[in-house]
Amino acid sequence: MEKLYASDIVKIIDLMAEVIIENEVYFCELDSAAGDGDFGMSLAKGFKILRSEWAGLSKEDTGLFLKDCGMIITENCGGASGPIWGSAFRSAGKYAEGKTEITLEEMSGLLQSAVDGIQKRGGAKLGDKTLLDALIPATESLKISAKEGEDILDAMKKSAREAVEGAEKTKLIVASKGRASYLGERSINMPDAGATAIGIIFTYIVNQFKR
Amino acid sequence: MKKIINRPETVVDEMCKGIVLAHPELVLSEKYKIIKRKRLNKDKVSLISGGGSGHEPAHAGYVGTGMLDAAVCGDVFASPSTIQIYNAILETRSNRGTLLIIKNYSGDCMNFDAASEMAEDEDIVVEKVYVNDDVAVKDSLYTIGRRGVAGTVFVHKIAGAAAEKGMDLSQVKAVAEKTIANVRSIGFAFTSCTVPAKGTPIFTLEEDEMEFGVGIHGEPGIVREKIVPADELAEKMVERIVKDIPYQQGDEVALLINGLGASPVQELYLLNNSVSNAIAKRGIKIYKTFVGNYMTSIDMAGASVTLLRLDQELKELLDEPSDTPAIKIW
Repeated sequence: MEKLYASDIVKIIDLMAEVIIENEVYFCELDSAAGDGDFGMSLAKGFKILRSEWAGLSKEDTGLFLKDCGMIITENCGGASGPIWGSAFRSAGKYAEGKTEITLEEMSGLLQSAVDGIQKRGGAKLGDKTLLDALIPATESLKISAKEGEDILDAMKKSAREAVEGAEKTKLIVASKGRASYLGERSINMPDAGATAIGIIFTYIVNQFKR
Repeated sequence: MKKIINRPETVVDEMCKGIVLAHPELVLSEKYKIIKRKRLNKDKVSLISGGGSGHEPAHAGYVGTGMLDAAVCGDVFASPSTIQIYNAILETRSNRGTLLIIKNYSGDCMNFDAASEMAEDEDIVVEKVYVNDDVAVKDSLYTIGRRGVAGTVFVHKIAGAAAEKGMDLSQVKAVAEKTIANVRSIGFAFTSCTVPAKGTPIFTLEEDEMEFGVGIHGEPGIVREKIVPADELAEKMVERIVKDIPYQQGDEVALLINGLGASPVQELYLLNNSVSNAIAKRGIKIYKTFVGNYMTSIDMAGASVTLLRLDQELKELLDEPSDTPAIKIW
């Protein structure tokens, strides 16, 4: 596969909503270990509403679609998830403005914009034990694959593996952002809930995605 | 889980409705879960606070004359969304600008900051203060810093009085910041709280254990240890606080003994006696005392102690009248 069409992106976000809603309780449990346990619920709340408003979303222009998703997520995800996931979607939407199809290179650019959006809002960087520790390696992997001219689906699979590995590595990090930071050294050995979720979501998408 | 409840998903909505039914001088914007004064004064600085629910009477209980203009209610222990806060700013827009009083947590800071940026695009002047009074958390450049806990109530009271007196936005912000610079708290838990959506306690403590330095969302504290008699507990708490700001003989403070939700008022008054003795022993004078459930953690047993060091300006503002569901001063 060389390109993703707007309908493919729609399918990917649909899969994302599916896996987030399915894992609501599990994501809460991940967050309970070090945070305050609201992550799964806060995230699922926004994606449930996204699905209920699904029919009314414009799906031809990928940029517009992602931006609309971002607005719904910003409005409806509770806690820190609203601004973080909302700015990721809105920033990616801005990047993809007017696009009806996406190359692998553009896909990596889109994910990079999501990373930029999150960093602008939350101020975290690689190694702060946040979802960026999965998202940044996944993005870098896509960039390398684009340079190598790989098939887009193969590249996405590699990228998902990088996300899972990045999440795994957060076990070794002392949290400095979010409520987990109050634990200090006690947060060691607990993976970051957001990073773990990114690994699970990306893996689910690459396993389930069919045109 | 044994709670007075219909469904976990509707707890916050139904509670908000219950608040305005009991206090008809307040009104609820249902869509955005904003509780605001029915009669807004366009010629004073607007004050907004809010955060996750589960800390009642905070923050809706502090909406009214002499304190807040609106409180934005998030889900239990989760910050309200950017859009909710943005709408609170729009709905309480005044000719003198808006001050947001934010408890220092990642989610709250992100949502309140993003909402203030949106409001500024609409030419509303917005200033922000971040309350970070919990001495249990280490403050360092590498973390998000201390948590905002019960000391927030003093910020509401003092900034609220300043706004009601007609001070400018910059002056209201300055007294709020002065309050934040002089207020310190520490808490302990005897039991965990139970979030309705989860249905089970966040953590477990043995019959003879306490979590010293606990946060108001059940976040871990400094140490888990054996419970001690009230006098000893009071001594430990006061010591932590006075070590944090240098006090001098004769300094005056406002004292808040705050219940976390499930400790009887009897025990809070008993704790007040112990804490007052520990403060007097250090040559510090208590100017005014508040005892009760002001910033709770749903059904957690335990309490927090807050000291606010006062100067003449803060004393006068603290004594100004306020008429809100949870604090009435005439």
